[in-house]
Amino acid sequence: MLWAIIFAPLCGAILNGLILRTASPRTSHLVGVGAMAVSFTCTIILFSKFMASGGQAQVYEGMRWMEAGDFSAPLNFILDRLSAMMLLIITGIGLLIHIYAGGYMHEEKATWRFFAYTNLFAFMMLLLVLGDNMLVMFIGWEGVGLCSYLLIGYWYESDANAAAGMKAFIVNRIGDIGFLIAIFLTWIYFGTVSFTELKVIVMGSSGLTTLQLNIVGYLTLALFLGVCGKSAQLPLYVWLPDAMAGPTPVSALIHAATMVTAGIYLMTRVNFLFYLAPFTQSVVAIVGALTALFAATIAITQTDIKKVLAYSTVSQLGFMVLACGVGSHEAGVFHLLTHACFKALLFLGAGSVIVAMHHKQNMLEMGGLKKYMPITHAVMLVGVLAIIGFPGFSGFFSKDEILWRAFNYPNIGKALWAIGAISAVCTSFYMVRLLCLTFYGANRSDHHTQEHLHETPWHMWAPLIVLAILSAGMGYIGIPPVFGVENYFAHYLHEVIAMPPQAAEHWAFLKEPHSHALEFAVMGVSVLGMILGSGFAISLYKNGVSPRAVSLQQRFPRLHALVTDKYRVDEFYDSVFVQPLKDLSAFLFRVFDVVIVDGIVNGTAQLCVMIGGLASFKMTGNVHRHAMIFMVGLICLLLTLF
Amino acid sequence: MDFINQHILSFLIFFPFVVGGLIFFIPNLRLAKITAMLGSIVTFLASLHVWYYFDGSQSGLQFFQSYQWIPQFGIKYIVGIDGLSLLLVVLATFLTPLVFLSLWNSDGKRPKALLGLVLLLEAGMLGSLLALDLVFFYVFWEAMLIPMYFIIGVWGGARRIYATMKFVIYTVVGSLLMLVAALVMYYAHYREFGFFSTSLLDLYKLNLPMHVQMPIFLAFALAFAIKVPLWPFHTWLPDAHVEAPTIGSVILAGVLLKLGTYGFVRYAIPLFPDATIMFAPVLMSLGVIGIIYGALTAWVQEDAKKLVAYSSVSHLGFVVLGSVAIVGDGLSPEALTGAMYQMINHGISTGALFFLVGCIYERRHTRLLSDFGGIAKVMPWFAVMLIIATLGSVGLPGTGGFIGEFLILLGTFNASPLLAVLASLGVLLGAIYMLKLCKAILFGPLDKDENKELKDISLLEAGYLVPLAVLVIVMGVFPNFFIDKTRASINHLAKNFKNYELSVSGMAAEKAPAETTQVPQPAKTEAGKG
Repeated sequence: MLWAIIFAPLCGAILNGLILRTASPRTSHLVGVGAMAVSFTCTIILFSKFMASGGQAQVYEGMRWMEAGDFSAPLNFILDRLSAMMLLIITGIGLLIHIYAGGYMHEEKATWRFFAYTNLFAFMMLLLVLGDNMLVMFIGWEGVGLCSYLLIGYWYESDANAAAGMKAFIVNRIGDIGFLIAIFLTWIYFGTVSFTELKVIVMGSSGLTTLQLNIVGYLTLALFLGVCGKSAQLPLYVWLPDAMAGPTPVSALIHAATMVTAGIYLMTRVNFLFYLAPFTQSVVAIVGALTALFAATIAITQTDIKKVLAYSTVSQLGFMVLACGVGSHEAGVFHLLTHACFKALLFLGAGSVIVAMHHKQNMLEMGGLKKYMPITHAVMLVGVLAIIGFPGFSGFFSKDEILWRAFNYPNIGKALWAIGAISAVCTSFYMVRLLCLTFYGANRSDHHTQEHLHETPWHMWAPLIVLAILSAGMGYIGIPPVFGVENYFAHYLHEVIAMPPQAAEHWAFLKEPHSHALEFAVMGVSVLGMILGSGFAISLYKNGVSPRAVSLQQRFPRLHALVTDKYRVDEFYDSVFVQPLKDLSAFLFRVFDVVIVDGIVNGTAQLCVMIGGLASFKMTGNVHRHAMIFMVGLICLLLTLF
Repeated sequence: MDFINQHILSFLIFFPFVVGGLIFFIPNLRLAKITAMLGSIVTFLASLHVWYYFDGSQSGLQFFQSYQWIPQFGIKYIVGIDGLSLLLVVLATFLTPLVFLSLWNSDGKRPKALLGLVLLLEAGMLGSLLALDLVFFYVFWEAMLIPMYFIIGVWGGARRIYATMKFVIYTVVGSLLMLVAALVMYYAHYREFGFFSTSLLDLYKLNLPMHVQMPIFLAFALAFAIKVPLWPFHTWLPDAHVEAPTIGSVILAGVLLKLGTYGFVRYAIPLFPDATIMFAPVLMSLGVIGIIYGALTAWVQEDAKKLVAYSSVSHLGFVVLGSVAIVGDGLSPEALTGAMYQMINHGISTGALFFLVGCIYERRHTRLLSDFGGIAKVMPWFAVMLIIATLGSVGLPGTGGFIGEFLILLGTFNASPLLAVLASLGVLLGAIYMLKLCKAILFGPLDKDENKELKDISLLEAGYLVPLAVLVIVMGVFPNFFIDKTRASINHLAKNFKNYELSVSGMAAEKAPAETTQVPQPAKTEAGKG
């Protein structure tokens, strides 16, 4: 069953990519959806069987893949509660997005390439979450990066798309170096790269040696570098906003719901190692919180609907990373789950809007779409309520859980909470702004576009309805205990979270009881912030950009310009890293290679000619003659010996 | 079968040699092409026979054959194969038919001579790989230069004479020093054992004092380093590649360069273990510099072929790094396996890249990146091939490049974490320059009129590109299939390189019963479990 889940998308990819290259878009769509449907059906069956049998982790043995020296990495898969949940997200949301994509891509001449890539992506993502050792996970880890590269560059004829794909791949590779180093350290100091075996070693009664404990510090930092790349955290987040150049279903599938959450998945997969490294955990928490705030502030001033969602994704990923950093991986994964639903919904909704607007993405040209696209408006409203944490919607439960956990973190906890809370206010502001600018007020588009505004066909809005239901209701599987019910989700993941005995003391605060009043107070602050943020956004943008919003911008022109330019981070990286490196390379080639080394080589040759000329033996450059002289010399040499 | 197994290595060396010589006398071009193709295919099949009957669980020499050649001087004719040379032999015989396929429709300058020279070159390469006698090895090592000299010098580009002279003189300087060093060893052996021998099996037993080992190690190392080429001896390579015809580049990058790294593994390291230990940090550092330097210089190239050439400098830096990673008492078996793997993988993916660059050069007579753009639209299958070769080159998991680079870095990390971290920057830089190549050629707007009418790859071109592309992926998905053949030999060398000896596995005798009972190698399935 597991094999069918993994290989159905691969078959789809091969079928579409190599065999059906001349087929109609309809056929390739059917193949793509079919592969995902098979995978999803099998996942449901496997999942119910898995939970019926108690939900114990099990390892599926595949072939012995690579063995060299003492190193071995078999192609084993692990099915536990964490990977099972990820399976549901990947195949379930993946299926919905594949169905939707058929409508979104209907103007394309040949969609086989698109569906081949997305199916391949699903396969790689499945490898990533199912791999029982770091190496198999790494195959998926880089594999999804490849698919992301190919899909961002799907419209390769535009230079911007091709460049954005390249940027995504290269920035991710920086993180991948961290991942590689972590693999090396794990193997050298623990003798295995298998997650299952690693867990046994770490959780063992004998504990780790001091050396190993030190190594865990470096190892987790290196892993976190990988997380920063894949999950778009500071300072490596720069690729994700550019990745929006790809088709919108890709943004929903890869750059919101699945691939970018791989970092959170990874940290949860080896949570026992991260628990052993308090320093790394602080770094993780701080980076997460700062990313959340940083990206949220950028999103406030963006006018491209997809860019807003992109920065919002970066910010939400920051929340998840923050959760892992404060030792509450289950809260991070819970937010991963709810975010997968509502962000996929928001992206697809935005996609519908973009299609209706004839591929215009500037929100300033939209407005009043509620009248034309009632269903899209309704589902987008649900999505926005979910992401801003409106009480009762899924984001409310998952985001507040994270803020509460951050609040309880010792030392810097209050600061982390404050940063998180401010980011949440920003989130409310920019999401409501997006909603207002798009759906309310008067329509600002030109006459031609206005004439063609219409609701999308059913196979585009039907997946949105499913996602809207999930976004609204998903939160109820993880209600905080403060409401007097059991947190089913935390209970579900309980087995995956493993606190090593050596770290238990440091993380004792996780288990301490807290006053309910305090928790309600923190929650109250969040709700208040949400209301303030949304209210402010409504007052400024309910009828397009109000004069007050404009005057606000004009009061802080430089700040506004800085934020609109995304703090000019790209320009900074370019002038500090890329350009100097390029200059160095040019110098190495033009000066060192051509002038110095070749100068010496050619100079020596010239010298030989000169000396040869003096000795009246001309260097003719005739190799036959050289060879002859060489042979004569050799024979003379040998003769003199005997 | 017994007879075949005893003589098959000699057949591998001399059959292409004879056919190559014969080609010059065939009057008809068509017939010459068919003969060359058949000759190379027969050689390839023979090497597959060796592959199939090669017992991967043995670390010793197999298909061994030894005759006295010049008994007075102790020079013998010895050939044998083990896990260190097997993969390279098959790579060489595999690439040659593909080269002929790519020449099938060409009738440029003196086409017959080119066919003959390629076969002679193949014989030279196989001879160097299979020879186990120093003199015999040296003869082939030098003999290889001659066909390559002509291939670049006659069929090359505008600056072909400069390039080919540079190539030959660079190489000869190294190998002359190696010859002197070999003579020193020859006498040292006489002094220690009382008889002359140039057999590698005897020379391995030498116990040279450090002050003798050092200079002769350096001489050998220089010869091999130039061949690899290791930074800073690399400047002949870009010139040679840019001027060489496509097939010249393919053979050069595919196999010829590997003889340098093979030389390290077969000769320099086991013959001079103490000097190896002493100079390993230097060699590793040069390897790492080569990785980064090659990658950076590749990045700023405007000429696609030159870019690929500099990428070779970077990739072979990895191989050298992996060959001399010393961990504790021995070499790192992981890094050594990775080095071996990377040699093969580089041969395949870079071979493919040179073929691909050749494809577009043939159509447009330019290799400047700025002359292309958006080709993916008119040449979709070409795009697929180029992307697969690129992925193999950047070492994406699922391609052979990943296996090689990963194992090298893993073993190196054990030896020197700092160097491994620096070398892993090569993984990043590799992505930068290769994706730049892809983007410049394939993507972006198709705005040049000359490019709008380009034809996608023909069936013939697919004939040699597809096998390479498939192998790039197969090598990434089934690494153990290849590693199993080399495991015993590599572990043996890694563990015992200080007191290295090569035994002869009684191959022919053992195979005979297995042959009569039709049981195909019971030991085969056990191979490499350990």
